[in-house]
Amino acid sequence: MFLALTLHQFTDQFINGVTLGMLYILVALGLNIILGLMGVINYSHGSFFMLGAYVAYSLDPIVGFWASILLAAFCIGIFGMLFESTLIRPLYNRIPEYTLLLTFGTALIFEQVVRRIWGDDAVRFELPEKFSGTLAIGNSQFPLYKDVMLVGITIVVLAVVWFLVNRTNIGMIIRAGTRDAEMVRILGINMPMMFTLVFGIGSFMAGLAGALAAPVYAIQPTLASEWVILTFVIVIVGGIGSFWGAVVGGLSIGIVSSLMDLIWPPAVEMTGFLIMGIILLMRPRGLFGVEGLFE
Amino acid sequence: MSKIVRHPLLWTAIVLAILPWLLPGANPFVGRAGFIDLGTTIAIFALFAMGFNLLFGHVGDLSFGHAMFFTIGAYATALLTKGFNVTVGGAKLAWAGTDSFIGSILLSLGLVAAIAFLLGRLIVPRSSGIYFSMITLAFAQVIYFITYKWDAFTGGEDGLQAISRPSLPGLPSGFLNESWHFYYFAAIVIYVALAIIWWVIESPFGSVCHAIRENDQRAEFLGYDVRKYRVNAFFISALFPAAAGCLWTYYQQSITPDAGSIEYSGRVVMMSLLGGIQTFFGPMLGSFIYWQLQNDVAQITKYWEAVIGAVFVVFVLIAPRGIWGAVEDVENYGFRSALRRVFSRRARVESEMSEEVASQAP
Repeated sequence: MFLALTLHQFTDQFINGVTLGMLYILVALGLNIILGLMGVINYSHGSFFMLGAYVAYSLDPIVGFWASILLAAFCIGIFGMLFESTLIRPLYNRIPEYTLLLTFGTALIFEQVVRRIWGDDAVRFELPEKFSGTLAIGNSQFPLYKDVMLVGITIVVLAVVWFLVNRTNIGMIIRAGTRDAEMVRILGINMPMMFTLVFGIGSFMAGLAGALAAPVYAIQPTLASEWVILTFVIVIVGGIGSFWGAVVGGLSIGIVSSLMDLIWPPAVEMTGFLIMGIILLMRPRGLFGVEGLFE
Repeated sequence: MSKIVRHPLLWTAIVLAILPWLLPGANPFVGRAGFIDLGTTIAIFALFAMGFNLLFGHVGDLSFGHAMFFTIGAYATALLTKGFNVTVGGAKLAWAGTDSFIGSILLSLGLVAAIAFLLGRLIVPRSSGIYFSMITLAFAQVIYFITYKWDAFTGGEDGLQAISRPSLPGLPSGFLNESWHFYYFAAIVIYVALAIIWWVIESPFGSVCHAIRENDQRAEFLGYDVRKYRVNAFFISALFPAAAGCLWTYYQQSITPDAGSIEYSGRVVMMSLLGGIQTFFGPMLGSFIYWQLQNDVAQITKYWEAVIGAVFVVFVLIAPRGIWGAVEDVENYGFRSALRRVFSRRARVESEMSEEVASQAP
């Protein structure tokens, strides 16, 4: 079966994997920042991704393509901040597992709300004519939106987030808070506000990923649970609270599962879990994880 | 005397015996089959949730993947009963099928025991807290995708149908096809399992588990091998979902991959929390409430899961000790004080601070 694999198929699937991996990174990084700083396991993170896709789909006819994607991401970001300040905030003085329980409950609600508003069946977000073409590089044709724009936008967003986390005051507070939230609070930082802001950023990234994915993948109510579990896997592989962990984890799982489609299609969905199993045997805290965080 | 009268196992027996009549609207003379079916579902999920809660409520490890043991037990029973004929890597495996209950429950338990033994040693020592929840969830997904994708063996998306119920020695074949008979057959098996759970919780092993739940570092300092206790508790708590899965296959007479999905794992989490995680009766009560709620709300709206989700969210926020926990609060602190614990954030935080934050401190 390996002989049938041509170079052309290989590059195609590899690039598919990169596109998928980019979206994984966006979603996983959002979850990872929330998890790393706040110790909140946001099971509803997949719902935010799904809502981003649906909101973009609904806004598209009104405000146009790019505006709908941006607006959807901002809507989800603000929604995430409201969500955190009303539902998550009462849980901070409990063990972190309760946040998983709460967000599991809200994910059930979000899924039914989506079914009520947009129906049970998948909807299609049509790509505008001018972006549906392909870009020729050498002998290969690359879909313009999926392989060029989507990857480009994600890299820009990742650069911005990296800059925000590593080169700004807010980022310094976030990084310090990940290590010792109590100490940071004693230094006079308004931690509840930081938490809300970080949750907003994380939700924004999930919403943006959803909106960007909307024209490429079918938008359906089961999207949330499919994505959130994979996101967990990426975070485990990369290590909780690690920027580069999410990047390496997301990209490698995206690429390997795309290539698996050529080698043995029934195992595509399991690739991420198999990678996770191997990584866990060798590094229990993930590739870039540190010991002792939230245990 | 009063000790016997108040014994939880006596009450468990009474409740299991009259459960089909307990359901609101149940009338033994009119349309009782519907209530028998609901009662069977409640009883089987009570066992599933009790097994799960042995780990979550009594050791403090939140597993989000216990449906994998349920589904392994269910598929083991289905395949043993129905037989299979499959080629794995060139080797032909075939089995004609049997209708022995003992055989299928032993296979379910044995298979899950083997998997839980390996998995427990693989993941429990390496992870705790939220890592543990996410990793169990991910492993359950692997089992789910195997049952979903392996068409030749597990029937793929459609699952396996037309699985006959077992025949019991001394009784005519087809005896259990009567839903009435099957309920009491299942109730007896479930009662035995629940009695074992009670015995585990009340044993010295159970006490150490409670100590680990409250503060694992102190338990460690007292000389207990926390890691070993957690591994063993994981192993024990995996066996009960397997038995529940075995009964579930016989009850439904079919099985689909859904049984191993995240919905099933989450369902027992919700049941346990609604009923009360740190109590013996909690998960049973939770199973009753969950299915009763589902049964009633589904008649009003097809979005019933949102209603159950909302009820669950409210419980997580204001009554994390669940309904039976509230009952125990009333018993221990009186009605007014218990009510204050529900509606006053401060009282709740104080009680939680002492119970939980202490165990979280590094």
